[in-house]
Amino acid sequence: MGDWLTGLPLWWGKVIAAVFFFGIAVWAWRRPRSYIYSEAPDNHRWRDLRVWASVLMAIQFLLYLTF
Amino acid sequence: MTIGGIDLFIVVAYLVAIPIFGMYFRKYVKTEEDYFLAGRMLPWWVISMSIIGTNIGAYDYMGAAGGAYRFGIAQANYEWIGAIPAMVLSALLFVPYYWKAGVYTVPEFLGRRYNLAVRVIEALLWGAFLACVLGVFFWAAGLMLNEYLGIPIWVSLLVTAAIVGIYTITGGLAAVAMTDVVQLLVMFIGGVALTVLGLWTVGGWSGLVASITPTHPNHFNLFLPLDDPVIPWLGMILGLAFVLSPAWWCCHQAIIQRTLGARSEWDAKAGMLFAAFPKMFIPVLVVLPGLLALSLNPNLVGPDMDRAFPWLIRNLLPAGLAGLVFAAFMAALISSVDSTLNSAATVWTRDIYQRFFVKNASDRHYLNVGRVLTFVFVLWAIAFAPVTKQFPGIYVAMQSLLSVFQGPTFAITLLGIGWRRATQWGGLFGLLAGVAISSTLFFAAGWSFLYVAWWSFVGALVVTVVVSLLTRPEPTSKLEGLVYGLVMKDDEIQDVISRRAQGGE
Repeated sequence: MGDWLTGLPLWWGKVIAAVFFFGIAVWAWRRPRSYIYSEAPDNHRWRDLRVWASVLMAIQFLLYLTF
Repeated sequence: MTIGGIDLFIVVAYLVAIPIFGMYFRKYVKTEEDYFLAGRMLPWWVISMSIIGTNIGAYDYMGAAGGAYRFGIAQANYEWIGAIPAMVLSALLFVPYYWKAGVYTVPEFLGRRYNLAVRVIEALLWGAFLACVLGVFFWAAGLMLNEYLGIPIWVSLLVTAAIVGIYTITGGLAAVAMTDVVQLLVMFIGGVALTVLGLWTVGGWSGLVASITPTHPNHFNLFLPLDDPVIPWLGMILGLAFVLSPAWWCCHQAIIQRTLGARSEWDAKAGMLFAAFPKMFIPVLVVLPGLLALSLNPNLVGPDMDRAFPWLIRNLLPAGLAGLVFAAFMAALISSVDSTLNSAATVWTRDIYQRFFVKNASDRHYLNVGRVLTFVFVLWAIAFAPVTKQFPGIYVAMQSLLSVFQGPTFAITLLGIGWRRATQWGGLFGLLAGVAISSTLFFAAGWSFLYVAWWSFVGALVVTVVVSLLTRPEPTSKLEGLVYGLVMKDDEIQDVISRRAQGGE
């Protein structure tokens, strides 16, 4: 990798990671509801996999913010 | 070190109970689909626990604890940014298309999407990789039984073969998945017990931080500087989070096979997604022990750092708990061995035997072939296991070799599902070009595998796009149910997908 990369500060990593987690959550919410619930036994809110994905990404964000 | 008394009882009871429990599921196996895909009846919670049981092996305990001893909490990147986002991507993009296509293997899907050459290359790669890994796993299991129970190594290998072989050969994926559930529980109970006791000994989290930070100031930072030779933060993001991790979670046969056995599309997606929750706690089981060992004994150097976990078991745990943690150790190993065994048999039966040797035979025939191949792989693993002793770095070498193929495989799978214009020739040349790039950078230039993965992914992506644009588009009829846009918009295609899933077309 080029030498210019070694000049990148560490906090760039945190910013890229945060954008990455946010982007994955947004991408998940852009999946249609019918696609998410496809073949689900019922339409209960807890079966909305977009919520699961958002919780996962929120926890990841907090972990990388903390450490 | 050998164990005795209550510890011995716990370990023996565990080793006897697992095959008996697994054998129970043999009565559900009547067809090839029952054997390789658990009759497509797995609920989401079984899939999720089986995925993590498959993912976490004894090497993770040893390697991750040793890595944490060396690099600190940055080792957790492999379980967090190097897994969780990719599992979301896999669950919501890749898994539904694999499941709806009604395939048994990832190479079979790629063969349907591109052509036979792509399927054969991928099948041979996965078939060879899974078979070799089996030998390494068997040797590790034999060594552990030898060291802790004091029985000769060849007896240890036979015991391992008997424990895993009995229920994997007879019960197939259903037995493997259900025993994985139990094994994951054992892993968590044993791992949490070790961590809690360790934290209590060092004075809690604050005591742990206070004892390590003065001598290792970066050990509680998830990202290490760019000049770190092993895990620089940019390599972690570009190579691990963007390429290797999605390649693993979206394209690894042993991981994906559990979701293919789901009872519905929703269960397949939910199984993969829910697996991310226990996955987030894995650092508590495998990374934290490395830090605890560093706090209690900062004098391990060189290769001895990889013995941080056994050191902790030997020096920290009282009678009873040592047996429980050893059982957790064995659970991690066995749950990886049975899954690898089952997946190796699936790939060789479906993608090699069924495609090139005996086509259109009866369902019963392929079920028997699957069982025979599983037995053959057990024998192979016993024979190959001692060979791995001659090459201590063989597991690392195989993982590195896998990383040479992972970037290109992920690139063509991503384009195959996400871009309808990708053609069979684009996929084939993209795969070949990506492998050529990664081989050159890895073997000739000696780059870190993290950067090799990134650039081979980019190279395969570019070649696939360029060649696809230069070649004739695939007919829509070939792409039905395999490409993202075509599934979402057309009711007729939904019918085709249902028929394909039901009929194994």
